[in-house]
Amino acid sequence: MSATIPLIDKTMVGQHGARPGAMGFLTDTTLCIGCKACEVACKQWNQLPMDNFGFTGHSYDNTGDLAAATWRHVVFVEQISDSTGQRATAMAPFQSNWLMMSDVCKHCVNAGCLEACPTGAIIRTEFDTVVIQQDICNGCGYCIPACPYGVPELSATDHQAHKCTLCYDRLDSGLEPACAKACPTDSIQFGPVTALMEHAQTRVADLQSRGVDSAYIYGDRAIGGTGGIDGNNAFFILTAEPEVYNLPAYPELPQDKVGRAFLTTFGAALALGVAAVVALRG
Amino acid sequence: MDISYKRQWETRGSRRRAVPAEAPTSYYNLPVIHKAHWGWLVIIYFFLGGISAGSYVIATVADLFGGPDARRIRQVGRYLALGALLPSPVLLILDLGRPERFYRMLRVLKLRSPMSVGTWGLTIFGGFCGLSALIQTAEDGLFGSFTLPRRFLLALPSKPIGVLGTLFGFLVGGYTGVLLAATAVPLWAKNYLLLGPLFLTSAMSTASAAIVLVLVSIRSTSHRTLKRLERLDLIAIVLELVLLLAAKANLGPIIARPLQVGKLARVYRWGVLGAGITLPLTLLSVTMLWRKAPARLLGALSSLLVLVGGLLLRYVMVEAGHASADDPQATFAFARKP
Ligand code: SF4
Ligand code: SF4
Repeated sequence: MSATIPLIDKTMVGQHGARPGAMGFLTDTTLCIGCKACEVACKQWNQLPMDNFGFTGHSYDNTGDLAAATWRHVVFVEQISDSTGQRATAMAPFQSNWLMMSDVCKHCVNAGCLEACPTGAIIRTEFDTVVIQQDICNGCGYCIPACPYGVPELSATDHQAHKCTLCYDRLDSGLEPACAKACPTDSIQFGPVTALMEHAQTRVADLQSRGVDSAYIYGDRAIGGTGGIDGNNAFFILTAEPEVYNLPAYPELPQDKVGRAFLTTFGAALALGVAAVVALRG
Repeated sequence: MDISYKRQWETRGSRRRAVPAEAPTSYYNLPVIHKAHWGWLVIIYFFLGGISAGSYVIATVADLFGGPDARRIRQVGRYLALGALLPSPVLLILDLGRPERFYRMLRVLKLRSPMSVGTWGLTIFGGFCGLSALIQTAEDGLFGSFTLPRRFLLALPSKPIGVLGTLFGFLVGGYTGVLLAATAVPLWAKNYLLLGPLFLTSAMSTASAAIVLVLVSIRSTSHRTLKRLERLDLIAIVLELVLLLAAKANLGPIIARPLQVGKLARVYRWGVLGAGITLPLTLLSVTMLWRKAPARLLGALSSLLVLVGGLLLRYVMVEAGHASADDPQATFAFARKP
């Protein structure tokens, strides 16, 4: 399961645009045991209703995806064959032949959802996290396709957009988020982003020295927090390509395109105006 | 709590996904990003908003440069701009999850959010449409000949108002493309430079087609007036064809998949490219080259086809975006640079 992640710019590894005082998550997937305590703790604390009880037929993952009432989602990847297509017989260090990862809103340094929101419902808090104010949101749904990671979703119950708040109410009272508190292996760690990033770099170096060459940080400027997003305040240590965990490798901030898109539209307007004059002239 | 709350992976029917089973690396072929919820309300708004914007632009150009012959174009254009715009706010508000909170769009202006820019543009443009239509009613004598409102409306500088309104008309006609482009949806975002121009061009072609249809059906216009509008239509649909082909080529094989296989691809090929562009292009060229052709009939027919094509273009663009958002391989291809 060696991952070959072609980094665009190696000097960006560990680089992060987090603002002073930013708080975030480090989700170290090499420690995840797939117990889903985070999913449960999140639902309990945030009083999220259950989704339809169903069976995906996919692995051990009956959650499937992040959604309006699911703000943590544990991904289960069973590594049935190795890179050559052979059945893996030897155990890889740390996660044996399983990859588990607790997915969550990335609380982007520059967030697509926040910039898209036309009501100003989505705000950046004093902890540098991204929160949807439920009393403002009018359910226009524009933040949903604007998130490059597929995080927020409109609720079928109240028709507003919902996603992880990084437990804003708990942070406000000096508590750590419910998922990080519940995680029995400390796979989910909460803290100041700069400290977490330093820790993540030490951890990756440690993992590599112990034979997990494929370990890397997802959510810095090199990978995951690319394209104007400038880093994720909730970032990860992964051991396989991002696509294996259903994550985009080099996502872009959608709003960086707006200026240029309006410019070409303006050009087209000029051209069509001239065409109209030529065609309609008396 | 509503117990019938659907889980997302259940509501995203795999049937509608254009993903082949042999997809290499992916998480059980589940979508990476979430698609927008937009359906017919938004598609029809894109269509009507385009007609309104284009009609306003055409009316203004006819007013400024058209001479006395273009009086009818100006008149129909101004009325159509308002008429096509009126349903738009209703459609947009009904599309919201919480329609009663629609006015919260007007508490901020965010220049990097096309939806915010568009909301403000549409609001201001609505004012211009109303004003120009009022001026037109005064010119048409609907207020009597010597009443105070009529004299007031006729004293307004209708030409400068038209020019200002045209700027907002271009914004309303084009921002819809930018709105789609400023998302993480591969099929839209990959073409971020082309979607605005494409929607604006289609706004012009559908608007001139709609004006032709109105003029033909009220039977009160000269052959020369119709010819001018058809000329504009011709230019617009040729440009539209170029933009569509460029956009498709720019997508590459993986992201363009919804436009290549399946029902949407058929609607795109036969409905948009065939019935909406190629057929009216042929009909219009025939009327231009062959003098004895039944010009009015062919003009009306090609206008009808352009309108149908314009609606289908919006439908295909929105739905293909949804299919592309559901396709993890499209997202991976879009978010993976060599
Ligand atoms: S991951 Fe998505 S929902 Fe979370 S902050 Fe970033 S853009 Fe917003
Ligand atoms: S759905 Fe709500 S939070 Fe999302 S963009 Fe619209 S108003 Fe903002």
